[in-house]
Amino acid sequence: METVLEVRGARHNYGATPALAGVDLDVGAGECVALLGPNGAGKTTLVNLVVGLLPAKEGRVRVCGGDPRLASTRRRLGVVQQSLGFPNTLKVVELVTGAAVRAGMPRSAAGPVMAELDLTDLAGRRAAKLSGGQRQRLQLAMALVADPRLLVLDEPTAGLDVPARKRFWQLLVERRARGTGVLVTTHLIEESSAVADRVVVLNHGRVLASGTPDELVARLPDRTVIARTALGRDRLAVLPGVVSVRNDGEHVHLGTRTPEALLRVLLAEDPGLSDLRVEGAGLEEAVAGLIERGAA
Amino acid sequence: MNAKVFGVELTDELRGIVREPTALFFSIVMPVAFFALFVSLFGKFSSGGLSAGTTMVATFGAFGVVSVVLMNPGIGVAADRERGWLRAKQVSAVPIGVTLAAKVIAALPYAAGVLLAMTATAAATGALDAPVPALLRILAVLMVGALPFALLSLAIGFQTGAGAATAVLNAILIPSAVLSGLWMPLEIMPAFFGDVAPFLPTYHLAQLALAQLTGAPVLTHVLVLLGTTIVAAALAAVSYRHARS
Ligand SMILES: Nc1ncnc2c1ncn2[C@@H]1O[C@H](COP(=O)(O)OP(=O)(O)OP(=O)(O)O)[C@@H](O)[C@H]1O
Ligand SMILES: [Mg+2]
Repeated sequence: METVLEVRGARHNYGATPALAGVDLDVGAGECVALLGPNGAGKTTLVNLVVGLLPAKEGRVRVCGGDPRLASTRRRLGVVQQSLGFPNTLKVVELVTGAAVRAGMPRSAAGPVMAELDLTDLAGRRAAKLSGGQRQRLQLAMALVADPRLLVLDEPTAGLDVPARKRFWQLLVERRARGTGVLVTTHLIEESSAVADRVVVLNHGRVLASGTPDELVARLPDRTVIARTALGRDRLAVLPGVVSVRNDGEHVHLGTRTPEALLRVLLAEDPGLSDLRVEGAGLEEAVAGLIERGAA
Repeated sequence: MNAKVFGVELTDELRGIVREPTALFFSIVMPVAFFALFVSLFGKFSSGGLSAGTTMVATFGAFGVVSVVLMNPGIGVAADRERGWLRAKQVSAVPIGVTLAAKVIAALPYAAGVLLAMTATAAATGALDAPVPALLRILAVLMVGALPFALLSLAIGFQTGAGAATAVLNAILIPSAVLSGLWMPLEIMPAFFGDVAPFLPTYHLAQLALAQLTGAPVLTHVLVLLGTTIVAAALAAVSYRHARS
């Protein structure tokens, strides 16, 4: 498989703050890699190195064999950035058409991509006046219209509603089938696991784990105990056999390899325990477990 | 390929001006109002056969042009960065030179606007007496001579916030204008001003414009402005590549 992204020993500090501490990462043509990790893990910093916004002071970053700091290399790139703002003076259709021309594509490439992302009705609107999810779709259109060899997407699903998110993952699958490599960061771990060929977990600027979603799930707790409980997070974390604790508001999700033993302790500790279920663990529990273990 | 890219870059910049014309209007109003004041006070005095109102089109015109092209591009890109739009440009496949050229060319409507308004003001006060070809040459010299100042503006704008850019650029503009004799002739200023002036590109721009009326030699001024352009272009390019995002 042809490599469209190669990162070796990438490091980056913001002043005294270390953000990346030596990261290796590859993306092949037609491969989708999900970059996961908690807030502040270094995902955006890595993305900024890959798209040429930051210089690689140490280590090596190559996009289709070229240095992304060079404009000619960036012809191969489509980028969705975290928290991008748009100018007040440009319209949706002008931005997508402009992105096509800048990438060496014909102006006519804009129409179909805008239709794909449901932007046709918004064509004449000023970009700065769009809603958050609409702006996100606009960015995606500007990235896709370049027909890039490598798509780099930093939280592209932020602010998208459920249908838009489905559409988005579907578009990624289509592009991947046409040989585009994809690097995508997201906090929607379960959704990404359906599309990602490989998952890379980043924390404190280091790669904690990397593999197929199934491999990561297999390395970690294979059961999730879900319940409504009065017990606090700190107490839960030290119960025997608990590998990860996650709270989704109403319920806690406890990752474990020994659900039976855990259930006995839980019931003894909290007589008011309710809504109890045990499920097979997913990628989300696996990643949470990896990060917790890595931090310990 | 690059011509098409330059086309969309320039079109986007011009849309920015046409769709928010208040910025254009107000940045022209200030220097022109100053000019109207000075020309109505001193415009009828004359020296060396030229009315002050006429020479002021060259000197104050240089101030007007420099003030608009030094302020606007820099403040614009600083605002773009604060808005988070500059990063989108930086990751695009557009070569630096094309982006900078489009931004600099897009500053010229400001320069043209200020010059036309000043010339009209001078004519309206009856203080203007120069042959039309000489006037046209002054306008051409000032438009082209504006380029290095637009580049310098960008170099600063890529590094600062919009508020800081306004302050820094003003801190460069006003002293350079006064020291170069753009507001009042150097002859009536302290001698020290005349010693400093030749080190300022603003002085050479004004002298080059004046030479279109007096026929004085222009080579030094042209060379200094060329050198300034090269240095400013390099600064702008480095600043763009290292712009904080
Ligand atoms: N411009 C900056 N200046 C200083 N520190 C920064 C800057 N950008 C990021 N950092 C720091 O670098 C670290 C990594 O940040 P980064 O934005 O890469 O995280 P992230 O994984 O993208 O997080 P999130 O999920 O919140 O987007 C954090 O500690 C952050 O505070
Ligand atoms: Mg981020």
